[in-house]
Amino acid sequence: MESAIENKIVVSKDEYKILELVIRDKVHDLEELAKRLNIDKSALMRRIAELESKKLLRIDREEEEYFEVTEEGRRYVKGGLPEEKVLRIIKEKDISDLKELYEEGKRHGISTNEVKIGIMHLARLGVVKIEKGKLIVNKERVEAVVEDRIRVRNVLSLIDGMVIGKEGVEERIIKELRQRRLIRSRKRKKIIITATRLAHEKMQKGEIVVARLITRLTPELIRTGKWREAIIKPYDLSVEVPKVSPGRKHPYMEFLDQIREILVSMGFEEMKGPHIELEFWNFDVLFQAQDHPAREIHDTFFLKRPRYGTIKDKELMERVKRTHEDGWITGSKGWQYKWDPRKALRLILRTQTTSVSVRTLKVIGNRNYKAFSLDRNFRPEALDATHSMEFYQCEGIVVGPKLNFRHLLGFLKEFSRRLGLEKVKFKPAYFPFTEPSVEGYVYHPSLGWIEALPGGMFRPEVLAPLGIKYRVLAWGIGIDRLAMVVLGIDDIRDLFNLNVEFLRSKARPIIPSMIR
Amino acid sequence: MPLISIKVEDLEKLVGRSLTLEEIIEYITMLKGEYEGMEEEYLIYEATHDRPDLFSCEGLARSIRGLAEIELGLPRFNVNESKVDVIVGNVYYRPYIACGLIRNVRLDEEAVRQLMQLQEKLHTTYCRNRRKASIGLYDYDTIEPPIRYLLMPIEKVRFRPLEWSKEASAKEILTKHPKGIEYGHIIANYEEVPLLVDSTGQVLSMPPIINSEETKVTEETKNIFVDVTGVDRRLVENVLKIIVTSIAERSEGKEIYKVSIHYDKDVVLTPDLSIERMDLNTSYVNDNLGLNLSTEEVIHLLLKMRLGATHKGEDLIGVMIPAYRIDILHPIDLVEDIAMAYGYDKLEPAIPEEHYTIGREHPLEVFSKAVREIMCGLGFQEIASYMLTSKILQTVYMRLPEEGKMVEIENPISDRFTVVRRWLIPDLLMSIYQSRGSGYPIMIFEVGDVAWIDEKEENRVKEDRRLAAAIASTETTLVDGLVKLNALIRTLGLSVRYEPVKHRSFIEGRCGKVLVEGREVGIIGEVHPEVLNNFKIEVPVVAFEISLGALLNIYREKMGM
Repeated sequence: MESAIENKIVVSKDEYKILELVIRDKVHDLEELAKRLNIDKSALMRRIAELESKKLLRIDREEEEYFEVTEEGRRYVKGGLPEEKVLRIIKEKDISDLKELYEEGKRHGISTNEVKIGIMHLARLGVVKIEKGKLIVNKERVEAVVEDRIRVRNVLSLIDGMVIGKEGVEERIIKELRQRRLIRSRKRKKIIITATRLAHEKMQKGEIVVARLITRLTPELIRTGKWREAIIKPYDLSVEVPKVSPGRKHPYMEFLDQIREILVSMGFEEMKGPHIELEFWNFDVLFQAQDHPAREIHDTFFLKRPRYGTIKDKELMERVKRTHEDGWITGSKGWQYKWDPRKALRLILRTQTTSVSVRTLKVIGNRNYKAFSLDRNFRPEALDATHSMEFYQCEGIVVGPKLNFRHLLGFLKEFSRRLGLEKVKFKPAYFPFTEPSVEGYVYHPSLGWIEALPGGMFRPEVLAPLGIKYRVLAWGIGIDRLAMVVLGIDDIRDLFNLNVEFLRSKARPIIPSMIR
Repeated sequence: MPLISIKVEDLEKLVGRSLTLEEIIEYITMLKGEYEGMEEEYLIYEATHDRPDLFSCEGLARSIRGLAEIELGLPRFNVNESKVDVIVGNVYYRPYIACGLIRNVRLDEEAVRQLMQLQEKLHTTYCRNRRKASIGLYDYDTIEPPIRYLLMPIEKVRFRPLEWSKEASAKEILTKHPKGIEYGHIIANYEEVPLLVDSTGQVLSMPPIINSEETKVTEETKNIFVDVTGVDRRLVENVLKIIVTSIAERSEGKEIYKVSIHYDKDVVLTPDLSIERMDLNTSYVNDNLGLNLSTEEVIHLLLKMRLGATHKGEDLIGVMIPAYRIDILHPIDLVEDIAMAYGYDKLEPAIPEEHYTIGREHPLEVFSKAVREIMCGLGFQEIASYMLTSKILQTVYMRLPEEGKMVEIENPISDRFTVVRRWLIPDLLMSIYQSRGSGYPIMIFEVGDVAWIDEKEENRVKEDRRLAAAIASTETTLVDGLVKLNALIRTLGLSVRYEPVKHRSFIEGRCGKVLVEGREVGIIGEVHPEVLNNFKIEVPVVAFEISLGALLNIYREKMGM
């Protein structure tokens, strides 16, 4: 069965009709085919082209000359040649006077001019003669000329569109018709359709089968193999198709995933800490004096409920207190004020993930390690296009006995390089818990220098109470700004835009340097 | 951080040579400042909070003289004792005062502007808008010492405040003078107001509100008297140090005179401009900066920062710190000064050798990522909402009582953000409402943190990582949610079943507890039509929310971890 089908050529119903006409009825002219099939030429041409691609038909184009009957000729075909009309009058009535003949013509609805033309031709044919204004009829010639004229008119009525040289008409008549401008020659393109040898063979063997046109495959068609006898309707690829949106990650969360990957690839372990924090971890451990402006209501969200937490590690509290008050054993003068443990227990929403860094230092202690956190912080900012009360910070620490400030610059530079921002410059800066401190600027091709990489080495007053003897490099990057650059977002509120349509409209971010 | 405006001409005069704009910007940058631009003839820069000595042109010029190597080491001040006494009364709510006198200053219009600016910048920063301390400047030649600092019943106070043409009562000043309106609240709770008066009974000022017009500093002023009053003795004395050392830069002989402050039981001489001493090891500097500087180089860099430095032998340096450098608490602060003088642009970034560590993501993030990927595979769009939200959205809109476990902010900035979210589903509903124009079905999820009060914790709060998802379409039923949740849990290799439960946010009889491996992890249900009405959602919604913290623990146990 397989092979039997393989030998067959599948065509559509219309295509089969065309083949029949070309092979059996020997119709080769496109015009003729169109007429016979009663379809328009361009539709026919598409099908013929399809058959040509199946190697069943051949299309040839040639130029040919043909006769076209002129306006005057067509009039004569209908009403007869002028000489015929004159002959008819003469046969009826014996008229020798020309004027009388004109009058008689008028009565028959023939113009004088036409009568004159008729007489001219009759004279040429030897039926009449004019002598001294009198018409002399050669009666013997009349019948022969009448017959001859009928032939000429017949030719005229059939010759329109005939190919010159293939019309099979006496040269004499053609010549007369041309001279009388009743026909003229024209040129035209001709499409000739012929069947190939393959077509003849397959047709003879009955190996051309008619298939049906289908718009979709069905399990039935696939299973039975009948799809081979079917034509699957082609699709117009320029037609708009319905839109679908994939289930996908949030663009900003996706960006943060990539930041995680970069930091992990640099040897950083992720750390986490509570969003609801004691002032102790958020400020006191970081050696921010209790009257520091950042600890006021303009810069920190304080909790109404719950209000105060506890710290089980009383020794740590004591060390922090001493450090604030007189520097303890850190070699510092301290802030020289009375440290209030109650203030340290006040609950807030953390303002910086640096709290997570110091919690981590307390737990891991003096070891070689790198840690990062990528989480949210809160500050009492009114939400607008450039400010948000909630923001992500990318916080990192590098801990080791022999680290130095240049290593911090090295990490900042490497991190921004991995973000695809190769140009970096560093300037002195002030942060309360680091010394020396630095602000790293990265160069963005369209935005210029962006303040992006703040960092420093944790102060001895931060480290000593935590029992850290190693040096600690620390940085805390406002990752929202960088995300906005990568995601092409101008309004910071759009990082948390809840409209699904908006989220779908954002292309999936890929940090360029990750695929370079 | 404060923005300072200076005149280049004035700066050049104080520095003692002409400067290009590029030079000025470079020096400002080296001093942690940031050049902001020019506003007409004024150059604007942002100073850092730790360097109040750079809040005016005088201090900036002093530092630039060091960096430009015009003058190295400690700035010299000619400090003497004056015979001026200040007698302190019982100003119980603003008990501290420190004063000083600077003689033979040469002022012009810009110099006066700089003094006012310095005073204002110190007021808004260190003095906490005059709450903790306030500064007064006077033309000393209009004052007859001794001066008394005392409390006076408010109704007895009359003087001519700055910028007014005649005397007024304290009440009038507090209610009508711009400064009275701005700062009156600081003393509003007291019947008596602080006052500085001289021996003739002339009012110098009413701290922390305003000075008298008669004692005002003008371009003609030759000798300036300064007072700082406040609630914190150390702060009061520190602010005075900044002010007098800055003004002294305008005095040819740098003449500063100490004033005797007579408290009830003791006498203090202010300002105390004694030099602080700190030892510094060259190796400490090099270890911290990753440099290989010689002791001589370190000393030179210290001198450029206007610090005194002497070689004490070996690699030990004795550093002398001028009184106005109140930011130096520890030798590490000297290290930063050295780095600044050395130039941050010359510090070569380096990657530490022998600091091999293995990175990894936090387990909760790894697990969250796995769950998020499955959810995306199931056709859900991830959304992200703020952790801060409104109590009404979390409870009333969800047909829940305003229960007491919600973490609430005392100083919210907007009604929309007053609590930390307790669950995620309300924000999913908000998202569905906001996305109503994009056609259905809407399938969304969020992985995020929630919190509620738990007295057992040190921070009194329990935080949890959650997954919540919602499906909204005209034909949604509970089954659609069950299908997806089943698929999620099955894909994690765990088993799930459901038990009927009542929850006011969901339709009764179409809500279930989610039990994974027999343990409760969350809830699923068809959202109650009243809730849908509250959110103006017009299609049925099925939603579920489960704890990823709990699910991770179950997962670990199941995998034998």
